Amino acid sequence: MTRVPLAAGICGVMLVGAGGVRAATPRDCETLAKHGHNAEARNCYESLTQQRDPYLRAEGFWGLKDYQSANNEFRAAVAQADGNAMYRVRWGRLLHERFNNVDAEGLFKEALQRDPKNAEAYLGLALVSADGFDDSAITWTMQALKLDPKLVEAHELMANLALEDSDTETAVREANAALAISPDALDAMAIRAAVEILADRSPDEWLGKIRAVNPTYGEGYAIVAHHLILNRRYEDGVAYYRKAIAADPELWSARAELGINLMRLGQEDEPRKQLEMCYENGYRNAETTNTLRLLDSYKNFVTLRDGPVTLKLEKNEADLLYPYFDEEAQRAIATYTKKYKMTLPGPVQIEVYANHEDFAVRTMGMPGLGALGVTFGEVLAMDSPSGRKPGDFNWASTLWHEMSHVFILTATNHRVPRWFTEGLAVHEETQASPEWGDRVTPEILVAIRDKKLLPVAELDRGFVRPEYEAQVIVSYYQAGKICDYIQERWGADKLLDMVHSFAKIQTTPDVIQQDLGMRAEEFDKEFLAWLDKDVAKEAASFDEWRNGLKDVAMKARDHDYDGVLKEGEHVRALYPDYIYDANVYEFLAEADLAKNDKTAATTVLTEYEKMGGHSPATLKELASLESDAGDKKAAAATLNRINYIYPEDEDLHRRLGDLWLGQENYPGAIREYKAVLAMGPLDKASAEFNLAQAYFDAGQKDKAEEDVLAALEAAPTYRPAQKLLMQLEDSKKGTNADGHTQ
Amino acid sequence: MRLAAMRSALAACGIACALLLAALPVRAGTYFVTVAGLGGEPDYDQRFTAMANDLDHILKTSGGDVHVTTLMGAAATKAGLENALGQVAKEAKPQDDFVLVLIGHGSYDGVEYKFNLVGPDISGGDLAALCDRIPSKRQLIVNTTSASGGSIAALDKPGRAVIAATKTGTEKNATVFARYWIEALRDPTTDTNKNETISAMEAFQYATTKTAAFYDSQKRLATEHAVFEDTGKNDAVRVASTDTGEGLFLSNFALIRIGAAQKAFADPAKRDLLAKKEELEQTIDQLKYQKAAMAPDDYKEQLTAALLELAHVQEELDK
Repeated sequence: MTRVPLAAGICGVMLVGAGGVRAATPRDCETLAKHGHNAEARNCYESLTQQRDPYLRAEGFWGLKDYQSANNEFRAAVAQADGNAMYRVRWGRLLHERFNNVDAEGLFKEALQRDPKNAEAYLGLALVSADGFDDSAITWTMQALKLDPKLVEAHELMANLALEDSDTETAVREANAALAISPDALDAMAIRAAVEILADRSPDEWLGKIRAVNPTYGEGYAIVAHHLILNRRYEDGVAYYRKAIAADPELWSARAELGINLMRLGQEDEPRKQLEMCYENGYRNAETTNTLRLLDSYKNFVTLRDGPVTLKLEKNEADLLYPYFDEEAQRAIATYTKKYKMTLPGPVQIEVYANHEDFAVRTMGMPGLGALGVTFGEVLAMDSPSGRKPGDFNWASTLWHEMSHVFILTATNHRVPRWFTEGLAVHEETQASPEWGDRVTPEILVAIRDKKLLPVAELDRGFVRPEYEAQVIVSYYQAGKICDYIQERWGADKLLDMVHSFAKIQTTPDVIQQDLGMRAEEFDKEFLAWLDKDVAKEAASFDEWRNGLKDVAMKARDHDYDGVLKEGEHVRALYPDYIYDANVYEFLAEADLAKNDKTAATTVLTEYEKMGGHSPATLKELASLESDAGDKKAAAATLNRINYIYPEDEDLHRRLGDLWLGQENYPGAIREYKAVLAMGPLDKASAEFNLAQAYFDAGQKDKAEEDVLAALEAAPTYRPAQKLLMQLEDSKKGTNADGHTQ
Repeated sequence: MRLAAMRSALAACGIACALLLAALPVRAGTYFVTVAGLGGEPDYDQRFTAMANDLDHILKTSGGDVHVTTLMGAAATKAGLENALGQVAKEAKPQDDFVLVLIGHGSYDGVEYKFNLVGPDISGGDLAALCDRIPSKRQLIVNTTSASGGSIAALDKPGRAVIAATKTGTEKNATVFARYWIEALRDPTTDTNKNETISAMEAFQYATTKTAAFYDSQKRLATEHAVFEDTGKNDAVRVASTDTGEGLFLSNFALIRIGAAQKAFADPAKRDLLAKKEELEQTIDQLKYQKAAMAPDDYKEQLTAALLELAHVQEELDK
C-alpha cells in the first residue's frame, strides 16, 4: 500500500490503496509519525478528530497530544461499544502514557474479560508491571506473545525487560525477532544499540538505522539512556538523554529523565530548568512534580565542604550531624583509597535527608523507597538518622556501604554487575566494624532453608526483578557473603582483581573463571557448602527458634523470669544473629534485672552489643549498667556506638560528654557537649557550662570563657558556671602575675 | 522564684523581661491533688497508676511545705475526688498554692468534657465548682488526659491556670504528655534558669518539647498538642507571649524547689546581699536588652564584670 498524504489544509487525509481512495486510519497516522513525517502525521490525526466515530476521534486527539479530549472520546467510544475490548486496550494505553497506571490496569483487565485472548491487553498489563520492575511483566509479555507471536511491541518489550535483567542474549534474540517481523521496529533497534554501548562497542550501526527510519525518533536514544542509567553509567545516560531531546525537543519524558539524572550528578540549576519546562508543557508525572518540590526544599539545606567530602545537610540538623558524618566520610575515603589503591577524581557529595520520602524522591522521583542510601557516581544520598525510628539503621554503616560504591563505580568506570558492587559494599560494612552490617534475618534464613539463593551468574536478577518479596534483601545478603567467602578463601586482593576484571566488561562467569579458577556453577556449589557451615544450623532450626522465642516472649509478658532464663539461653543459641524486635537478649536482660543480677544482665547485653544489636534504649541501659559497675570506659564506648545509630538524643550526648570529660578525653567531651548545644536544648545554660568546663579542662580558656558567659547570660545565678567564671578570672590574674604585661 | 532569675528564664524562651515587674511573693505552702483515672484496660490502669505513684513520690520528697493527696485505682472515684478537694478547701489558705493533676482518659462530646473515673465520671463543670471552693488565690490544673483541651473553657478563670495535653476536645487519642510532665519534675535540666525552682512554665516547656520529640522519633503523626491558659481569658495558647501576658502566671508558679534559695529569703542577715543580688540581676537583664545596640567587646566586658560581681555576692549568700 502506498500512503499519499494530501496537501495540508484540506479537511481530511485520504490514502490511495489497492482498493482506491479511503479515509485514514489510526495505524496510517501512527506509521507516518513513526517514520518522522511529523507534519503529515499531524494532518492525519487532525482528520481523525473530525470522524464521526468517537474511537477514531480519540486516536486523533491522542496523536495531537490533546489528552483530555482523547480521554473523553475514549469514554464515549466505550459507552457506545461496551463489548469492544480494543477500545479499552487503547484507552488503557493512553492512561498508561499519562501516568495513570491504576486505571490503565483496570481497563486492560476489563478488556480481557471481554476478549480473553486479546494479546494487546496482556501487553498493556506487561507495560504497567514493567514500570514498577514487577516480575509479572515477563509473565504478561510471554502471554501476549503466546497469543500473538507476531506482536512486535511484545518482542520489543521482552527484549527491554531482558536487558534490564542483564540477560543480553535474550534481549538480542527478542529484538531480532521484532526486526524479523517488522524491519522498522525502532525500539528493537534501540535495544540492539543499547546492547552494543553497554559492551563498550559502537552503537552507530543501530543508531544509524533508527535515523534512517526516523531522524526525529528521540525515544530510541532515551531507551539507550535508560539502560545506561540502570547500569549506573549516569554521565553516559545523561549524554543519551541529551541526544534524545536534540532529536525530539518535545520528548518530555526524556527531558524529565535528563533533569532527574543531572541531579544525580550533583547539579541543581539545569535540572530545575529542564523539569520546569516539562511541567509547564503539561508533563506532570509524579517524578517530575515530586522532584521539583524537592528542589524547592533545597533552600532548607546547607552545603559544607571539607577536602574530599562535601556534605549537604538539612539546616536544622547540620550542626549536630556534621562532625560525625564528616569524620566517618573522611575515614571511609582514607580507608578505601588505601585498600582499592586509587584516588577519587574529585570530592564526594553526601546528601543526608531528614525526611525519608525526600530521599526516596531524590532517588527514584517517587516516595516509598525501602533503601537507606543510594550512590550515583560521586554523589550519594541517604537517610538521616532522624529520617527513621531510633535503631532502625546504623547510618555510619550505610555511609561506608555507599562510599564503597563510589570507589567501585569509579574503579570500573561504572562497568560492574550489580551483585558484585552491592556484595562488596555489604562486605565492607562488616570490615569497617564487625558490629555493623545487617545480620541474617528470618526472611534470609527461610530463603536459605528453602534453597532460594540464585546462582551467582544470575544474581543481578534478584536485585532488579525480585520473584518474591524478600528477594532483594536475600540477594544483598548472598552477594555480601560471596565477597566474604572470596576474601576468606582467596584473600582480599582477589576481590580487587575482580574489580579490575569487571572493569574490562567481563561477564560474571568469565571473571570467576579467570580470577578464581573455576566455573561459575562450581563456585556456586562450593560457596553454598561454605555458607552451610555458617548458617545451616540456624536455617534448619528456624521453626524451633520461632516457637521458642514466642514462648520466651509470653513468659516475659507474664513476668515468669525463671522461665525466661531457663529457656532463653537455648533459644539464643539456636539463632544468635537475631538482634531485631523482641530479641531474646533483651528478654534475658530484663529477667536478670528483675532478679537483681546486674552482672548477668550486663553480660547478655554486651553479647547483644557485639552481635550488632542497635536499639538505642537497650544500649543506653547497658551503658548505665557498665557505668554503675564502675566501668566508665565501657560505658562511654557503648554510648559512642549510639552516635552511629541515632545521634538525635540530647541525653546521650550529655552522658557521653560527662564520661569522656571524666576520662580526660577532652576532644570527645567537647564534641559531645557541642552536640547537646546543636540540639537546641531547653537547658541551654548547663549545656554551655559543660562545654565551657570541657574547654577549660582542655586548656582552651578563651573558648571556655565564651561558653561560660553564654551559660551565665542564660542563667546568671547558675552556681557552677559562676564558679568557673571566677576560676577563669583567677587564672587570668595568675597569668598576669607570672609576668605578662598587665 | 526570684524576679530577675525568672526574667532570664523567660528571655530564654523568648519573652521580654518588661512584663515581669512584680516581685515573686513567698508562698506559704502548696496543696497537690493527683488523680489517676480509670484506664479501662489493664495496660492503661497499670500505666496511670505507675505515673501517679511516681508523681506522689516526687512531690512528697521535694521538701518544703507541701500537702500531697493522690487518688488511684479503686479510690479514684468521683466521691473520692470530691472528698479530697473538699479537704483541701478546708485546709488551704488564700496564700497557699493549689495544684490538681489529672492523669488518664477524658472525653468530650462537643459540649462537655468528662474525666473518666471509677464509677461515674466527673464533668469539667463539676471539677471547676469543686476547685472554686478552695480558697487558694493561685491555682493550677494540669489536665493530661485525652480530649483535655475540651476542659479548658469550664476550668479557666482568673487566678487559675489550666494546662491541657490536647489543644481541643477533639484530640481523643491517649496522650503521653503526663509521662513527660512527671519527668520534668525530677529532671534538673527542666530548671533552665538555674534558680533552683521548677516553675509550671518550665515544666510545660519541658513536657511539650519531649512530647513532640516522642512523636517525631516514632515517626507518628502527633495526636496531642498541649496548650495552656493562664490569663483567665479562656484563650489557650501553645507558647508564651509578651504581647498578651500569656505565660506570666505559669512562670511565677513554683512547682518544686530544688535548692536552698528559699532559705536565703528567710534570713534577715542576708537581706542586703539579696538586694545587691537583685540589683545586679537587673543590671544584667538591662545589658542583655541593650546587647544588639552595643559593641560586642563592650557588651562582653560589662557582662563579665556584672556576672563576676553577682558570682561573688552569691558566694557570700551561700556561706
